[in-house]
Amino acid sequence: MDEEPERAKRWEGGYERTWEVLKEDESGSLRATVEDILFQAKRKRVFESHGQVRLGMMRHLYVVIDSSRTMEDQDLKPNRLTSTLKLMEYFVEEYFDQNPISQIGIITTKNKRAEKLTDLAGNPKKHIAAMKKAVNSMCVGEPSLYNALNIAMQTLKHMPGHTSREILVIFSSLTTCDPANIYDLIKTLKALKIRVSVIGLSAEVRVCTVLTRETGGNYNVILDESHFKELLMYHVKPPPASSSSECSLIRMGFPQHIIASLSDQDAKPSFSMSHLESSDGGPGLTLGGYYCPQCRAKYTELPVECKVCGLTLVSAPHLARSFHHLFPLDAFQEHPLEEHKGDRFCQACQGELKDKSVFTCPACSSVFCTDCDLFIHDTLHCCPSCIHRQGTS
Amino acid sequence: MKLNIDGLLVYFPYDYIYPEQYSYMLELKRTLDAKGHGVLEMPSGTGKTISLLSLIVAYQRTYPLEVTKLIYCSRTVPEIEKVIEELRKLMEFYTKETGEKNNFLALALSSRKNLCIHPEVSSLRFGKEVDGKCHSLTASYIRAQRHSNPNQPVCRFYEEFDAVGRQVPIPSGIYNLDDLKAFGRKKGWCPYYLARYSILHANIVVYSYHYLLDPKIADLVSKELAKKSVVVFDEAHNIDNVCIDSMSVNITRRTLDRCQTNVETLQNTIQRIKETDAAKLREEYRRLVEGLKEANVARETDIYLSNPVLPDEILQEAVPGSIRTAEHFVGFLKRFLEYLKARLRIHHVVQESSPQFLKDIYEKVCIDRKPLRFCAERLRSLLRTLEIADIADFSAVTLISNFATLVSTYSKGFTIIIEPFEDKTPTIVNPVLHFSCMDPSIAIKPVFERFQSVIITSGTLSPLDIYPRILDFRPVTMASFTMTLARTCLCPLIVGRGNDQVAMSSKFETREDFAVIRNYGNLLLEMSAIVPDGIVAFFTSYVYMENIVASWYEQGILENIQRNKLIFIETQDAAETSMALEKYQEACENGRGAILLSVARGKVSEGIDFVHHFGRAVIMFGVPYVYTQSRILKARLEYLRDQFQIRENDFLTFDAMRHAAQCVGRAIRGKTDYGLMIFADKRYARADKRGKLPRWIQEHITDGSLNLTIDETVQLSKHFLRQMAQPFRREDQLGLSLLTLEQLQSEEMLQKISQIAQQLLLGRRQLVPQPLVLLAKPPHLST
Repeated sequence: MDEEPERAKRWEGGYERTWEVLKEDESGSLRATVEDILFQAKRKRVFESHGQVRLGMMRHLYVVIDSSRTMEDQDLKPNRLTSTLKLMEYFVEEYFDQNPISQIGIITTKNKRAEKLTDLAGNPKKHIAAMKKAVNSMCVGEPSLYNALNIAMQTLKHMPGHTSREILVIFSSLTTCDPANIYDLIKTLKALKIRVSVIGLSAEVRVCTVLTRETGGNYNVILDESHFKELLMYHVKPPPASSSSECSLIRMGFPQHIIASLSDQDAKPSFSMSHLESSDGGPGLTLGGYYCPQCRAKYTELPVECKVCGLTLVSAPHLARSFHHLFPLDAFQEHPLEEHKGDRFCQACQGELKDKSVFTCPACSSVFCTDCDLFIHDTLHCCPSCIHRQGTS
Repeated sequence: MKLNIDGLLVYFPYDYIYPEQYSYMLELKRTLDAKGHGVLEMPSGTGKTISLLSLIVAYQRTYPLEVTKLIYCSRTVPEIEKVIEELRKLMEFYTKETGEKNNFLALALSSRKNLCIHPEVSSLRFGKEVDGKCHSLTASYIRAQRHSNPNQPVCRFYEEFDAVGRQVPIPSGIYNLDDLKAFGRKKGWCPYYLARYSILHANIVVYSYHYLLDPKIADLVSKELAKKSVVVFDEAHNIDNVCIDSMSVNITRRTLDRCQTNVETLQNTIQRIKETDAAKLREEYRRLVEGLKEANVARETDIYLSNPVLPDEILQEAVPGSIRTAEHFVGFLKRFLEYLKARLRIHHVVQESSPQFLKDIYEKVCIDRKPLRFCAERLRSLLRTLEIADIADFSAVTLISNFATLVSTYSKGFTIIIEPFEDKTPTIVNPVLHFSCMDPSIAIKPVFERFQSVIITSGTLSPLDIYPRILDFRPVTMASFTMTLARTCLCPLIVGRGNDQVAMSSKFETREDFAVIRNYGNLLLEMSAIVPDGIVAFFTSYVYMENIVASWYEQGILENIQRNKLIFIETQDAAETSMALEKYQEACENGRGAILLSVARGKVSEGIDFVHHFGRAVIMFGVPYVYTQSRILKARLEYLRDQFQIRENDFLTFDAMRHAAQCVGRAIRGKTDYGLMIFADKRYARADKRGKLPRWIQEHITDGSLNLTIDETVQLSKHFLRQMAQPFRREDQLGLSLLTLEQLQSEEMLQKISQIAQQLLLGRRQLVPQPLVLLAKPPHLST
């Protein structure tokens, strides 16, 4: 068994009212209403994403992680930094899953400075490795929002116009130490069409409110860890592209995966191009792989930008995976339960309809409960009942 | 939207209405119907002003004979401007809805300093200088002199106004100060005199308290206002102090020295005039023999606001012979001055009543009561006769003569305290004579007697019943309204202990205690780490703040706080404070975060709003009791006990709590705003303190938030701040704390209809509480 790292004893930690999370407020005012509002917001988010909007398929996202003193706060377990990095790992994976031809980069800010943890790149492994390493880093000093945004901006402004330029700031501190007037920087960001969203870990900070409002991003503050995850996952989905962004054709390569068996005489083991730089050894020589249709360079993983000829290499399933963003499922109609006639059971989970409203699919007029409605829209992206009908007819 | 308030059609210029605004208007309507006075408490930021304006304007339009004028009194110039802006919105709405141009005239009135457009005069910096300079250009004899001497400078704006301005009334409309100035410039008329003249036929007048309460100004400005007016005192929680201040006089050695020079100037001028124009003085003498008849005639017609400084008897009598001639009067003043000087030469504190003072003055220098009473009026007459242009120079002698009149007129309600030194500096001799009014009802009495409805309203008037008692009037309605909220946006917490369980209190015995100071420091430190942007902290006094901050500095707490936020401190210097405020706001704006340390009863606690991020938390260190060792206060407490049966402790607590409520109320300025209110003193948890907070704060103090430790406070605050940071839109408020016309009507309907509907409504009705109506016990029944 591993030796537990020396951590503050329970009684040395902050005073917590853990029971309050579980208990519903008797007067029904605070928690109930706020939760209600949150639920409404969740519903609204589902609604908003429907209808014909143009979504940016190629995203360039910089995630700024605050690593200042406040990240050592233990209100997220075991502390804010560890919790954030863990969620970020999940986020990065999910991000590439949903946006296969996009790129991400990570910036940390502490001690009044900001530095790049990883450059913009399309390989999740590198980011995750970097973040694993960062868990043990010290959290000191104050963050600098200005410096972090500035670093991100320097890179993002060179990105082509048809891609989205985004920054997501995970901001734990309540202060920022800036070398210059941040409002000038906000103007520049706005002019460069860089969208900045902020997830606050402690409370609403004015400068973030202005920053997000001006640049068209979202500003949310977490309630607890699960809410944090939810907010983070919201950023997995590509934002609607502004109509002013350019359209352009991009050359892409769809390399075929060639599997060579050892029995094949012609098969020669070869190095993958992406492994040339990495020093960590890994699988060196392999037989099969993806070969760039333009220059025949070999890669073991997709998506990637060809090191030799600069072509973006993807596979068809990658594109298909982000397909549902473009043709989202229509919103279900909401009715109060009293008005609903007919079956009292949800078509999906077969459970009894108990919530105060029910949801009807406009195409097949099947009825669903709230949870299933969310599940269908968030995860399935198609109405099970419609699919079923198509199958039978 | 158009509302039906108890049968009255009210135009309300917004599409949405807060439930409390509706019930506020209902109460107001009831007050106006009864032609009585009212005390109404409604939290700031819930649209008090627009409710008042729309109801009273509607009332004026529907019953033009019942209510002819609205007099809206506010405290500061920005507040006056705000009222005018709301009114403008209302009038635009009227024009839009009814389609006709209404002939309403509403205007703001302020001092010459804010209204003057004369290029030279308006460039002066101080109000007094502007007044003096204006007077020297517009006084009647100056203008008379111009006939003989065309080189005499006069104000061309006033001349123009005097020539034509009075014949043509100002066109109807809404005028704020800038509009008046613009209109004045266009026409070439003096805006100040135009406004003063126009308030007589205006439908709505917005001006400062002093124009109605301060007898010296009220006599000039508000004398001829119609009886059928509605008077509104907004932000009136301090109205008793305003009344008292307007009747009190402080005399120092410096005043007496300046008075001495004034008297000498007077003497020289008299001498000179006697040589050149003796007829003038004779004419004055003749007038004085006839008595102050002129003023008397005016009073009999009962259209004037009576002047408490000038009692009725005076007007019927002739000025006594002993001060009728100018030289005699100057001699009289000299004697009086010498007497005062002698009284100030003391080494111990003297407190006496007005009759004692009069007896003493009679024994020592043979000054009778009667000539003293005429002193103020006699001086005014003399200054007029001597054609002294710059009245500002004579403020000292005017003050002394006012004092003479007051002291000889009122035998009750005033006290004279002569102190050889100030409390703070007991070694430096600086004698002061306080002639202090202890009864606020003296100054406000004419207002209550004269106008048919007087509304006293503010965000913090609790406990309501004390105001009618100290102002000595009988209200027909007294109501306190709560804030209906879709989310609990205020979080009052009472912190009673530090983490070491040592009780926190600013109580006199423990305030020097090291542990208490450290705990206060820790509280601020912890809060600075979790509250975003701005924190405002209030101390009970400047001295206490200095002590604590010095102690924090030594303990290194200040340094730790500065790691989280910048610290700004309010000082007694107005310029320094406004500088600190500006920088504080800048720091809040750009994400650095800041703490403002200020003092209850100071400038910051009264007039400055900390909306949204400028004040996410207010910390009240200690209970802001007034300095109880002051002799003036002691005298007042005694008076309150004897005259109004208000116990000393009750009044002190009431006074402390209204200031505490004012301070913490700075942070919540509306329903979308949110803020923490931290009361850092064990004593707040006691029912007598807590019960005196306004209802809208009180109802959010749960039993769980009493007597917390710092740790618990931090935890609750963190939770609250996160909850409040969740997105909050207007739709979330709709139906709960914000109503459309349909919702308002349907609710009324539903309440009437059926049993089932009422059951369903139960939940909602709890969220929309009915106003608490406390009816005052009429005094004649209790006896």
